Amino acid sequence: MLQRLRKPWSDNRAERLLGAVSFLACLTVACMVVFVAIHAWPTFEHNGLSWLGSGGSLSEQVERMLATSANPPASAFHIRVWPILYGTLLATGLAVLLALPLAVLSSIFIVELAPAPVRRVMIIVVRLLASVPSVIYGLIGILVLVPFVGAHLVTSAERTSLQNTVQLTGAGLVVAVVLLTVMITPIMVALTCDALGAVPAAWREGAAALGVNRLRAIRAVTLRAIRPAIVAATVLATARALGEAIVISMVSGSVFFAPRPSDGAAFLLEPFRSFASTIVDFREGLGAPALSATLYACALLLLFSAFALSVAGYLVKLPMRKYQVKG
Amino acid sequence: MHRIRRIAASLAAVTLIGSAVPAIASATSVITISGATASYPLVQLLAHKYAKLLHNKVSFRISQGGAQIGINDVAAGRVTIGDVSRDPLSTDPPGLVFYPIAKYAICVVTNKANPLSNLTEAQVQAIFTGKDREWSQIPGATATGTIDLISRTSTAGVLTNFKTLFLGNKSVSKLAAEEPSEGLLEQQVVNDPKAIGFLSNYRADSGTVNPVGYNGVGCSLANASSGQYAAVARFYEVTKGKATGAAAKFISWIDTSKVAKKIVASQWIPD
Repeated sequence: MLQRLRKPWSDNRAERLLGAVSFLACLTVACMVVFVAIHAWPTFEHNGLSWLGSGGSLSEQVERMLATSANPPASAFHIRVWPILYGTLLATGLAVLLALPLAVLSSIFIVELAPAPVRRVMIIVVRLLASVPSVIYGLIGILVLVPFVGAHLVTSAERTSLQNTVQLTGAGLVVAVVLLTVMITPIMVALTCDALGAVPAAWREGAAALGVNRLRAIRAVTLRAIRPAIVAATVLATARALGEAIVISMVSGSVFFAPRPSDGAAFLLEPFRSFASTIVDFREGLGAPALSATLYACALLLLFSAFALSVAGYLVKLPMRKYQVKG
Repeated sequence: MHRIRRIAASLAAVTLIGSAVPAIASATSVITISGATASYPLVQLLAHKYAKLLHNKVSFRISQGGAQIGINDVAAGRVTIGDVSRDPLSTDPPGLVFYPIAKYAICVVTNKANPLSNLTEAQVQAIFTGKDREWSQIPGATATGTIDLISRTSTAGVLTNFKTLFLGNKSVSKLAAEEPSEGLLEQQVVNDPKAIGFLSNYRADSGTVNPVGYNGVGCSLANASSGQYAAVARFYEVTKGKATGAAAKFISWIDTSKVAKKIVASQWIPD
């Protein structure tokens, strides 16, 4: 027996073992989705898809959920989460819109234009920045950015005109978007830099031989080649912004409110809640069955949006395959 | 062959350590506690002293997360004792026993730049239900402009008590920011000169915010201990069924011993 075990492993056995490990990953994902879906089911049973709609005050609906005992009546499950959905999309969308040009432009600088020593240092710095734990951004947000915005960006005219609708304390959309942007840009830069580095030198040389200037070559050849990598980076960054809970919980103002573009500049200062931050804020209420089902439903939506993002990324990349460079 | 012997030896060592650890652990009894963030500092002090007095025959594992977490954990049997910062509710799971261990005061707090000294019950209600929205409507306030209401998420025990003691069970205005913990509420009041919120006296006295008097009595430990300050609530240790074993001894020690009373009286009010 021992003799047999001491023999070198055949490829066959190694293959099976590795196969089992990767199958475990699939199993984990499947179990997680099933577990969350089962717990979220009562919400959808009582609300249907109008769960995603709008109507009524969310804080009153949550309070009603908390006030019921172990066997809540059907009416306790009533909730319309549109303000949360809208807040999530708004914060994530704005952060990705800001981060995308920032990331692409700075990666072009780092890889194509910067002198070699600068490039080496920049790549290290970007990787460090990408690995900063999000709670640190949350601390900087609540200790520095929120008081700054509250003291210098919110005008007293804005406060007074909205005082019976919503409070502008400094915590709100703008701080959350800035922090999310700072969090996701380094990830996008790191991935885009890798892709830029993989563009064959011959392609650039070919462009130069045709007499194309540097900027045009970057636009027409390099950027074109790395489009799939940019899409992949955007998908990853969006997923991180979408799931960010702690930072949003700390700096978003913690109110169920849908920021209104009709309020002009004050729109950016208005508070909101995202799906992930709602789960964090109300984790104490998991004992109330109605609220717990609602929080699981939020989690299920986050899981599905991560899945949908991957699929969307794949579909967008399909037509770009012709000149693609593996990033 | 050497490698195999080495592996066998280390395996044997791991097994030995593995079997020794439970043997040591079973010599002392472990009390696990989870629950309210507000009572955490007190329970931590009590547990530390108790373990020391018993020469570490008892050890504690204490985590915080909120009153409702304590209720859920103890009802599900995940911990021996749940810490709760509010009175029992009709929605609590059946079969839980609440042992009061101390009382604490709840203070309305403002930013230090707005050293409001007193509010009447009517004023607190007008402010927190959203009727008065301007600091100019509040005599004694040095802040100007809109009042920023900072409250807690609806799961917080301190919020439940605040509504009973100050608002006559009315709800806090929907405009209020709902912070998930006392620490975040404190930070928002520190950040914002126009803010008003409420904290347990332990945090309100920490010097970062301005505790406001209520109905003419200052919110201080002395006034709450003497019974003059009215807005006082209870901390409970909660067990599933009657407390037994080490947990029962710990709870009765808090209730009867002079040492425990002294710890409670240092920053809270003996019950």
